[in-house]
Amino acid sequence: MTVNPIGLDYPMKDARDRVVGTMRFTIDHEVEGMAHARVVRSMVPHGTITSIDTAEAAAMPGVIAVVTGADLAADDRIASPFFGIGRKDQPPLAIGKVRYAGEPVAVVVAETERQARAAAETVWPEIDETPFATDHLEASRPGAPVVHDDWPDNACGAFRLHRGDPDAAFATAHRVYEMTYTTPSANPVPLEPHVGVAHWEDGRLTMWSSTQWPHVVRNELANIFGLEREAVRVIAFPLGGGFGAKGQVKMEPLIACAALVAGRPVRLQLDRDEVFFTVAKHAATMRFRTGVDADGQMIAREIELHYDAGAYANTTPGGMGNAVVRSPGPYRSPNIHITANGWYTNTVPTGSYRGALTTQVAFAYESHLDEIAHDLGIDPVELRRRNLLHDGDEYATGESMHDVHFAELLDDVANAIGWGESAAADGDPPHIRRGRGVAVILKSTPTPSRSEARIACRADGTITAYSSGVDMGQGLSTTIAQLAASALGVHPDVVDVVDPDTDITPYDAMTAGSRLTHAAGIALGHAATDLLAALAELAADQMEVAVDDVEHVDGAVVVRGAPAMRTSWGQVLADAGVAELARDGVFQSEGGAFAEPMDVKGVASVHWHQGAVAAEVAVDIETGKVTVERCHGAAFAGRVVNPTRARQQSEGSIIMGLGPTLFEEYLLDNGQLVNPNLSDYMIPSVLDVPVALTSHNMEHVDRANNEIHGVGEMTIPAVAPAVANAVFDAVGVRIRDLPLRAERVLRALDAQETTDG
Amino acid sequence: MAEAEETVTVTLDVNGESREVEIVADETLVETLRRRFGLRSVRATCGIGICGTCTVQLDGLAVSSCSLLTQQVTDAEITTSEGLADGDDLAAVQEAFLEHRAYQCSYCIPGMVVAVDACMKNRPDVTFEELREELAGNLCRCGTYPQILEAARDLISARNQAG
Repeated sequence: MTVNPIGLDYPMKDARDRVVGTMRFTIDHEVEGMAHARVVRSMVPHGTITSIDTAEAAAMPGVIAVVTGADLAADDRIASPFFGIGRKDQPPLAIGKVRYAGEPVAVVVAETERQARAAAETVWPEIDETPFATDHLEASRPGAPVVHDDWPDNACGAFRLHRGDPDAAFATAHRVYEMTYTTPSANPVPLEPHVGVAHWEDGRLTMWSSTQWPHVVRNELANIFGLEREAVRVIAFPLGGGFGAKGQVKMEPLIACAALVAGRPVRLQLDRDEVFFTVAKHAATMRFRTGVDADGQMIAREIELHYDAGAYANTTPGGMGNAVVRSPGPYRSPNIHITANGWYTNTVPTGSYRGALTTQVAFAYESHLDEIAHDLGIDPVELRRRNLLHDGDEYATGESMHDVHFAELLDDVANAIGWGESAAADGDPPHIRRGRGVAVILKSTPTPSRSEARIACRADGTITAYSSGVDMGQGLSTTIAQLAASALGVHPDVVDVVDPDTDITPYDAMTAGSRLTHAAGIALGHAATDLLAALAELAADQMEVAVDDVEHVDGAVVVRGAPAMRTSWGQVLADAGVAELARDGVFQSEGGAFAEPMDVKGVASVHWHQGAVAAEVAVDIETGKVTVERCHGAAFAGRVVNPTRARQQSEGSIIMGLGPTLFEEYLLDNGQLVNPNLSDYMIPSVLDVPVALTSHNMEHVDRANNEIHGVGEMTIPAVAPAVANAVFDAVGVRIRDLPLRAERVLRALDAQETTDG
Repeated sequence: MAEAEETVTVTLDVNGESREVEIVADETLVETLRRRFGLRSVRATCGIGICGTCTVQLDGLAVSSCSLLTQQVTDAEITTSEGLADGDDLAAVQEAFLEHRAYQCSYCIPGMVVAVDACMKNRPDVTFEELREELAGNLCRCGTYPQILEAARDLISARNQAG
């Protein structure tokens, strides 16, 4: 082998099919005899279902079944019609009451999609409306409408971290600052909607689904139907984008129930508005109180976080632990008190949105630090330098930080943007003001977590790597080929990778949290080590040499000192009469800081994800419009497996991050989502891309350190605060609520004028 | 009882081949191209002609196939990304996208390819800036825009050199 596959700028293996459009997504999958489903949704945000008239629909052409939540509750074949990662509180179809506008209340199965749609329009649920709460602070107050009777105070997870003596430290502080920041709900908007096909055969369920979490879907489906896990098979093709929207369990239980009742394979593909009704980002309200000494060191901190869980718990109860440990940011925090609470509301259930439970707090802590810097008259970059974590420092959790490079990342982005130089550009009209801002962030990766991988060599010379990691645009299957190739000492060309299939590919916790390249890399490494040892043993027997004298060179064994004695792995296996030799490897991270929710401490992350962004904006003071003209992102990658794809992660994250920064948000009116379409809810287009957009994926200086960090979401949390800080630099107004819509900026400018005048 | 939906037979010219197909009367072009012609590159996403993942060429012009009824386009030449390639030979736009790694999840990419190809053929003097503005009708959530723009820049400079 002449090249090292790690760092090789190797194109995705299926690049041609990707460009021409012949690659297969889940939307392309069909099963013989397949029927089509259409969901009927609640028109009201909260109420008791009094009746659902399905008679007309059932009599319509092509209709096979009309199913309601009551049908599921009464069906003996369904052990428990509830699912959820944090709490099993979500029914595939509302049972008894509806908890948000847009919640599924019935599903129609028909011969064609068109017939299912026509029939679904005739299903009219009668719902006795009750008062609702769509704001998480309102839902947190005594006497608020109760979303789940089992949780009368709407509590959906609470964690607390306490370290040092914040009260005493506040008492000695030079100055104390307290500000509240908010970020709204939003949708990840993968362009491929949620889509799946369920097929029951002889009591066994096969589910093709656009999911990031195939094994979790399998386990949840097994639980719903009271089946052994092995009786459920989940197959995931590459995704047309995930960004968290296809994490956990989404439409799979509904599709599987519909197929069970209809007695046919059933396909469901969501319309765009239904994607908005399926998963939302957590809206958050975040109060930050900080005491600094005369040098600007943050000696005392108090952080109070409130997250909107939506109508169902999903990841929120446990996720509040992540909210806590990510909220101090990359700063020393010797005296700190943090609380995070999730609250049920009558809104779309929440889940992940790239940079989950991080983009919220990063906007808050990086805006807050900027405000403190300006008030103290200290340069914002300098104030960050004085507080950043370095190797060996203790984090708020008490864990010792290692492999942290926040200072270098900050320097990198500050230099790239020309920090310290004037942002004003020649030729700007007088109503255009320029400014610059920076932000540095950290994010934990799920810890502990598990990924398994398998590598098989065959007598026919083929090599296949197996992982349940899902390719969703990051090019994971090609990355797995590169990682396996590196561990085996072969070229990635000769390593095939199969799509996730829980019957075939080994367990993987989730494709989320930017964890797969790291986790799968380690699992594949262990599999390769064992496989090479097994091949060496076979070869040693065949060649009658000591096993220690067998070496592997580019897919063949050679005898040390006698390079002419060379046999390909395929030949070794053929000679041994072994058709296939496979070995499994396991990545299992240790640690965990959340054993005591009210006393978070310990190792919250096996390693910390690190990113930084610098932005230059032009603000039109006549309209309030903010244009991000230049942006530079930096992430710590450890080792870059593929330069182009790593760059696409960092720069793609910045582009995606501009959406929630400038315009993305769920808009509600009387409990109804009023913008669930790509006309009223805009996502960044090519015209929103900064004219100058660059990035740097930083690697270990120590060449012996090969630890790979994920780079999937390291820049996105830093975008909003960098831009908000740049807006302040440009026009002197501080926006503490995202997004930075023109109206909001203009109102702040008007208010500033009034105050100044 | 399943009743047949009202269908009509139309002749469509798709990717250089004229074919008779039976369609439901109010079928959209994206449905027809996917279901009757098995063309995977055409993908419905927003349903309202905003996002561009269903972009095809109608007599060489880029259009959103989710917003057209199939019966409206029986007189037109319809071209999808599959049809831009000539067997194993990819179109210049496709080659440029491959060269610049202008793909991530790739759901939007064929629509981008079709849009760039249409723009360059219809506007022989199109500048890079104008082409960039034309692409505002094709959304990419992965943020592959920098590589797409690099491919577009290359195509424009190749055209300029050839011209």
